[in-house]
Amino acid sequence: MRLPRGRLLKSRVVSDPREPLAEVLDRALTGYAVFESQDSLLLDGDGRGVVTFTGGVPVVAYHTGTDRGGPPALADLAVPGPYHVSVFELDAAELAPVHEVDELAVPPGMPAERLAGDPALADSTRRSAPAERTGGPSETHEDHGAVEAFLEDEEKIAAIREQARKEAKERAAEWGFNDT
Amino acid sequence: MVEVFAVASGKGGTGKTTSTVALGMALAERYDVTVVDADTGMANLLFHAGLSDAETTLHDVLADSAPVEAAAYDRFGMTVVPCGTSLDGFRDADPARLREVVATLAADTDVILLDSPPALDSRAAVLPVVMADRTVVVLQPTIPAISDGLKVQEYAASYGTGVAGILFNKVREDGIEAVAEKTERYFEGPTLGAVPESERAREARRAGRPLLAHAPDCEAARVYREAADSLSVRHGESGDVADRFRSAVIPETP
Repeated sequence: MRLPRGRLLKSRVVSDPREPLAEVLDRALTGYAVFESQDSLLLDGDGRGVVTFTGGVPVVAYHTGTDRGGPPALADLAVPGPYHVSVFELDAAELAPVHEVDELAVPPGMPAERLAGDPALADSTRRSAPAERTGGPSETHEDHGAVEAFLEDEEKIAAIREQARKEAKERAAEWGFNDT
Repeated sequence: MVEVFAVASGKGGTGKTTSTVALGMALAERYDVTVVDADTGMANLLFHAGLSDAETTLHDVLADSAPVEAAAYDRFGMTVVPCGTSLDGFRDADPARLREVVATLAADTDVILLDSPPALDSRAAVLPVVMADRTVVVLQPTIPAISDGLKVQEYAASYGTGVAGILFNKVREDGIEAVAEKTERYFEGPTLGAVPESERAREARRAGRPLLAHAPDCEAARVYREAADSLSVRHGESGDVADRFRSAVIPETP
């Protein structure tokens, strides 16, 4: 996926992907956002996830670490935060070639609903999407795609569990729960 | 016999209190059930159980200014122990005393459900999971909710607390079966159910009544009843549980 470099609007660290998705929708941004995990301990931590937008509504997703596109790319960029996020503005004409690749497409509400876990933001995103991109018979069903791809990544889930186990153990000592 | 369940989720907004009350009401058909608002920082249970004007709450008990019995209300076939909404009440409450409260309640009930805080970032937030025998993990079919649910399971395991099951809630679309089947592989307990998002549940909350009392015939209520049926309550001796809670070494907050 070749994406011409856009005009950088924002670059910062956020704790979860909800914030940039909400902001991009508010600004009705046409362009793309690059998500980079700050946690190199987890798999795919070295890759970058790219989500493009037209009028603030997500169109395609791609992950450079796994070379996957569409809903699985959203699963790939889903790691426990923080993320470094850069938001770029880019002309619709420059995004057009990428937006024509069906394999990269994601349903409009999927990033907000499944990646950010925010159904209300997903609903407002769907309302902002052009009619031809929503309401298809499989749109909502397809929405589980990112979650299923996430659940199929056994190594990533093992890494998340391992990290939680370690954290739980450290905190148990810190909170004096060891003897319970 | 008594078994203590923490109804937990790592993330807010999963409908944990609605689920706690619904499971409690459904279990109350077979057991003597006590539901406790263990999210002492964010009183919620009282609004779901018609107790918004309750004079004595768990906060008073945790502040040592009332006995547990004074904060235990018979509502909808269950015993309900709500938290209050006043900031003073919260400030004076000592969460570490929760174990005494649970020990006292354990002497006189079959099932205790602890409505737990939606976080794992403090002693008070983790305490219900530490004290419970098993936890019911409430999930939504999203990546952060499932990730956080897995964290709850790992935290619980590190305190010897098992997972009784996972419950999907606020499900908005078809295809949950595949997600549930894939999710279940990573959890110790089975999928208890997948509750659809429900306007009835919102109405019930506004009316200050449990969903199972407000709209007992709706689909969400039916799924909650099935979930409660598939929850196998284990027999333990009340005395043992009470002793265990009393002897648990939980230092006071500095």
